[in-house]
Amino acid sequence: MPENRDPLRYFRIEAQELVEQISSGVLDLDQRPGPEPVAKLLRVAHTLKGAARVVKQKEIADRTHEFEEILVPYRDDPAGLAVADMRELLRLNDEISARVAALSHPAAPVDPPATTATLPEVAEGTADVAEEEFVASRASTEDLDELLDAIGETNSRMAPLRAGCHTLDKLHRTAETLLDQLRGGRASTSLTRTSAQRLAAELGSAGRRLIDAVDQVERELDDVRAKAEALRLVPAGSIFTALRRAVRDAADDEDKRVRFVAHGAEVKMGSHLLGPINAAFLHVVRNAVVHGLEPPDERVAAGKPADGTVTFEVERRGRFAAFRCVDDGRGFDVTALRQKAQARGLLAVGGGAGESEVLELVMHGGISTSAAVTEVSGRAIGMDVLRDTAAQLHGDVKIRSKPGAGATVELVVPLALLSMAGLLVEAGGSMASLPLDAVRACVRLSAMEAATAAATGKLVYQGAAAPFRPLVETLYTGRAVPDAAGPGVAVMVHAGEGTVAIGVDRLCGTHALVARPLPDLAPSTAVVGSVSVDADGNPRLVLDPLGLVGEMLRGDGGGHRTTTVTSAPPLPILVVDDSLTTRMLERSILESAGYQVDLAASGEEGLDQARSRQYGLFLTDIDMPGIDGFTFVERTRADPELAGVPAILVSSRASAEDRDRGMRAGASAYVVKGEFDQEELLAHIRRLVVRA
Amino acid sequence: MTQQIHGRVERLRADFDHSFAVPARTIDDEAVELLAVGVGGRPYALRLSQTSGLHPDRPVVPLPSSVPALRGLAGFAGVVIPVYDLAALLGHPIPEEPRWLVLAAGGPPLALAFQQLDHHVRVPATAVVDGSGAAAAARGCLRGMVQLPDGNRPIIDMAATRDLVHRMAGHEHSEASS
Repeated sequence: MPENRDPLRYFRIEAQELVEQISSGVLDLDQRPGPEPVAKLLRVAHTLKGAARVVKQKEIADRTHEFEEILVPYRDDPAGLAVADMRELLRLNDEISARVAALSHPAAPVDPPATTATLPEVAEGTADVAEEEFVASRASTEDLDELLDAIGETNSRMAPLRAGCHTLDKLHRTAETLLDQLRGGRASTSLTRTSAQRLAAELGSAGRRLIDAVDQVERELDDVRAKAEALRLVPAGSIFTALRRAVRDAADDEDKRVRFVAHGAEVKMGSHLLGPINAAFLHVVRNAVVHGLEPPDERVAAGKPADGTVTFEVERRGRFAAFRCVDDGRGFDVTALRQKAQARGLLAVGGGAGESEVLELVMHGGISTSAAVTEVSGRAIGMDVLRDTAAQLHGDVKIRSKPGAGATVELVVPLALLSMAGLLVEAGGSMASLPLDAVRACVRLSAMEAATAAATGKLVYQGAAAPFRPLVETLYTGRAVPDAAGPGVAVMVHAGEGTVAIGVDRLCGTHALVARPLPDLAPSTAVVGSVSVDADGNPRLVLDPLGLVGEMLRGDGGGHRTTTVTSAPPLPILVVDDSLTTRMLERSILESAGYQVDLAASGEEGLDQARSRQYGLFLTDIDMPGIDGFTFVERTRADPELAGVPAILVSSRASAEDRDRGMRAGASAYVVKGEFDQEELLAHIRRLVVRA
Repeated sequence: MTQQIHGRVERLRADFDHSFAVPARTIDDEAVELLAVGVGGRPYALRLSQTSGLHPDRPVVPLPSSVPALRGLAGFAGVVIPVYDLAALLGHPIPEEPRWLVLAAGGPPLALAFQQLDHHVRVPATAVVDGSGAAAAARGCLRGMVQLPDGNRPIIDMAATRDLVHRMAGHEHSEASS
């Protein structure tokens, strides 16, 4: 629609990119003067000027021209810019940025703020909005390239499918020829048999190839979907320039020399997180410069380099992201803060408030280390904003301070959307993803090794015994574990305090995924970190390595464990049967499977006993004198106290009619004595038994 | 056989034509739409107005949890929604594999699994015996009964069921609506 008539459509995108390059280029030049950053800035500015002229954005073109004019004399000058020139450069940079931003938001005032030499008080809402929008940048070219590569890869997987179609076509013709031969009766039986055998073999191998090809395509599509989803995420580095500029401006106002270092630009997260975090840390880094860093002479006297350093670090910790601002200044003056707090009645005078308690007060606003209220840092507003941001993002703030050595302010927030590479594993028929960065190795297990590992709870890996647990036990905590082949591979997972071995049935390859938090109303264990959505739209659990390792190391204190350590113990089973032999047989089966068993010789006795303690399951015969099994089940179903305990009928009656009657009565399973299969019975019990 | 089908087609056609002749029926408080369902082998009814979707055979991924009634998670158009076992919430033993998922109205998203869908009925409000009152409070998730031709069915109240789930999940604030 109007899009193709919009002459600024492409300019907006290009200009925004160029402005970002100019902003970071100016700061580069400020820290490392020299001909090279000047030349780079001139190139970018020239491109912007040209593009602005084409789309008749005269103001932008003119400001960019002035910007160039300042730089030209310094083209071959190895010394830095004059202070006044640098200030003007920054002012023009801001004006150009504001004008370019205004193109995307025509409603916003076109005139840039009158004074831009110092940033306005950022606690105001408007400034926050601008900063948040700054973060909501479009996908990077690199990400788009990756997505396109993934689509290309998927496309190339179509070739085997196409070949498979041709093969099918050919085999179809062969089958028709064979049919003709059979119909005509001309060919000998042995000849047709050979043809049929060959056809069957070819069909078999074609089928296998097709299955492989379809599996491949499915995996690739999964990858494509995850990569497309990841486009919604923004790299943390996109807020670095703004922070760097804030540090630079504050240092300029305070006449301090500051080096800004940033790490973790590549960590990606939802832009809704980065916006508020950017706004909050603008205050934190300014505070670090104004309150934290000492004036140069004081620093030199203290044996520190004259230039202060403010470091901003972003790092992913499992399903959390940590943002940290570290300065090498004087640290918080805890004594002064304590006195100030006491003067205001926030702390009891003479009370021995610890350092952490005082820092906690800083966190909650009201006291600031600065003697004067400056425009740049406000009155502890920074900490208020950080605290509000933490509350809004369900995060946590920590302040650490070392007198004379500096301070650290850290915000840890849970990530809503997180892109990562996962190792897809299968256990007990369920698939789950393990974050690949926590996987150290995969070890194939023979049946014997798996049994030993399961029995001892240990797996020897690289000369050390790592705690071992089949994933299936962890995944089915609190419910019946399905029967599965058992672990065939141990995945060595490292996180936090150590390395553990997780037994999985099989590995299903690696894949890119976007993890999101578990929905409300779905409380789970620490082992499940988040959930992703597979290509079919079904949820897939993403395990939290930290939770997994933590749980296993904690649950492994004695070095020995039983296989039921993760699930609650089953409640006892009540066996109701008038035959002593059956009672004893069932008891021995159940007891050797680890269940506690009570016996009743009649339905009446069974009912009495059922009410006497809490059972996990009733196992009852049908034909008994007095109350029969059907009635026993019906009566227990009608009793609100007992209705929750599943009942299994065991009988020699094998007719469908009896089965139906049993199910109607409310039995959860029906086992025929004639076909009595111990394993089948135990499987039913494992599935049904109520756990404590 | 053909005759039979022919007769049926005729009947349907007549009904269809007739529907234009009757005045448009107004949705009023006089009628209640219900889903007749089987949960844990017992008949129940759900008020259609308290639901926001009904889905058969949707895979449910089990989730390790200390809440036994939480069956796991299911995906609905890219949204991951917790699935609770309706039978377990009503105090029945957990059946093998419930076939149906019904989405409860209101938020946060919540799906309830049950085994059998008997039919969808529209009954006059008089067929519903009101269950509100002091005595009803003790009835857990059930509020009132409906008299249907195939027998009386207790009505599962979605708001009460949602409240129960919120309590089980330790959800901060109950938002039982409707």
